[in-house]
Amino acid sequence: MEVEKGKTAKYLKEKQGIPPQATEQLKQFTKTKKALLNALKEGDKTVPQLADKLNMPGDAVMFQLMSLLKYGFVETGEIDDMDEYFYYKIKSNGKNKS
Amino acid sequence: MQEQMKTLEYDVLVVGAGIAGGESALNLANIGYKVLMVEKEPSIGGKMILLSKVFPTLDCAACITTPKVSEIARHPNITVFTDTETEKINKKGEHQFEAVILRKPRYVDVDACTGCQLCEEACPVSVTDEFQFGLVGRKAAYIPFSIASPRAAVIDIENCILCGACERACPPDCIDFTQTEEKFLVKIKSVVVATGFDLFDPLKIPRYGYGKFKNVITSMQMERELAPTRPFNTVLRPGDGKMPDNLAYVLCTGSRDKSVGNPICSQICCMYSIKQAQLLLGALPMADVTIYYLHIRAFGKGFNEFYAQAQDMGVTFIKGKVGTITEKENGNLILRYEDIEAGVVKEAEHDMVVLSVGVLPHQGISEKFENQKLKLDPFHFIDQSDILASPAKTSIEGVFVAGTASGPMDIPDSILSGGSASAQTTSYLRKEEL
Ligand SMILES: Cc1cc2nc3c(=O)[nH]c(=O)nc-3n(C[C@H](O)[C@H](O)[C@H](O)COP(=O)(O)OP(=O)(O)OC[C@H]3O[C@@H](n4cnc5c(N)ncnc54)[C@H](O)[C@@H]3O)c2cc1C
Ligand code: SF4
Ligand code: SF4
Repeated sequence: MEVEKGKTAKYLKEKQGIPPQATEQLKQFTKTKKALLNALKEGDKTVPQLADKLNMPGDAVMFQLMSLLKYGFVETGEIDDMDEYFYYKIKSNGKNKS
Repeated sequence: MQEQMKTLEYDVLVVGAGIAGGESALNLANIGYKVLMVEKEPSIGGKMILLSKVFPTLDCAACITTPKVSEIARHPNITVFTDTETEKINKKGEHQFEAVILRKPRYVDVDACTGCQLCEEACPVSVTDEFQFGLVGRKAAYIPFSIASPRAAVIDIENCILCGACERACPPDCIDFTQTEEKFLVKIKSVVVATGFDLFDPLKIPRYGYGKFKNVITSMQMERELAPTRPFNTVLRPGDGKMPDNLAYVLCTGSRDKSVGNPICSQICCMYSIKQAQLLLGALPMADVTIYYLHIRAFGKGFNEFYAQAQDMGVTFIKGKVGTITEKENGNLILRYEDIEAGVVKEAEHDMVVLSVGVLPHQGISEKFENQKLKLDPFHFIDQSDILASPAKTSIEGVFVAGTASGPMDIPDSILSGGSASAQTTSYLRKEEL
């Protein structure tokens, strides 16, 4: 069977469906991403400040925030007065304004 | 339906494309042999390509690996199959082997992919990045890492929601979800086993708190934190993003320890820890670094000088056996250790702990040899049947071993071993031609 180039995802989806854990994973990520970006829109924050505000464990914030840094949504700001924690901020030319 | 297997013919099959397998393949290819190199991961380069800098010269690992890796990729006598596992190998006679290999679909046409990363940008899924050892995420459509070879995208089908965004974003239309597994029958005259090593999993020592205490990491994770393509903006604690200023190394984690089933020395952990300590003093000029050791094994060329250099730079060495690690509320860690020289138990606080995890055999390849036994040594590395006279020889005539597949060793020794495997393979092949 010839499948049209550029539309092969649809073919595989019809053939074998989507793994349920993949959808769940995506839901979680989208939720945290939104929460982190919203919190940063209010002002630059450190990891402990984000953890506090979102009531999330520090390591989970760190993991997701560093992923957002890698994906180009967030950038690193100044370090705090104690030279301990960096502030993170929405990337000024960030791709995602939502 | 029985799938038709394609038949391929080469002189040598190299299993594993780390630095040792790469060295063997290049030497064999340069004297004219046709080599098929199979690698189970989506990139060649093994562990070395993921390191920061290397002892004892502090050269950047990528600067040494990248030219080798691209020479392998471009060599007319070397064919590389990534995402490929060996299913079975049979010896049919002298200079006659048959292997069945299985190539998993990548869902990307590797030759057409330009590595532009637009698929990555478009993909909505984020999962744990195994090439950053769990410190950060990656997309389901992703380039394994920036210096990967081939530098082409892969689709992580287990985490993909098949939304098609990557496909729509890809300029040369090279994403293809119709790809399926391919099986090949490979006829060769000789085999080089270069399947490398595994890292000790520190979850097996619960008293060190790895997994539970987020500021306890492995040396491989620290290696990534120090690499130019690091997961964070600088060296930070994964638990809360604090810039550490008082780090500890626990040597021999999972080595020389009968209780975890690995009584032997891993040979590299002392030196890579001393290297990382020096790099940390460069990255974090205000930091203190303490190394808890049982013995420092600095036996190689330039190693003792490298150790002395770390001492001169201000790294603290404590001859001490760490018993337990506990966590304080602020994420700092209390190490309870036996000060061996003073003969007393002491406690010390650090804000980050690195476990210098040991080298374990990468098992599985010996079972793939069906009609002859590829013998293992008592520690489950590939047995070197004539270790003094012909170190690359195995229990099967015509099958040679290269690098850490035969036991713990560093990069210079892995390259030497790869060289020796290629020389002995050549001599075996020449015997047929005489
Ligand atoms: C934290 C850390 C820091 C280090 N720092 C240094 C340093 O500074 N200097 C130094 O000299 N050394 C260092 N080393 C040691 C160095 O990494 C090793 O010496 C070297 O990588 C060994 O290369 P190798 O090719 O033998 O094995 P590997 O790098 O393990 O390569 C083996 C390859 O084979 C593949 N493979 C395995 N099984 C199969 C199969 N069945 N089919 C197909 N493919 C397979 C694997 O995926 C892998 O790509 C360090 C090691 C660690 C852990
Ligand atoms: S089809 Fe899969 S890999 Fe491609 S963008 Fe969607 S989730 Fe990502
Ligand atoms: S968008 Fe296409 S060409 Fe670009 S990296 Fe992804 S698969 Fe390769």
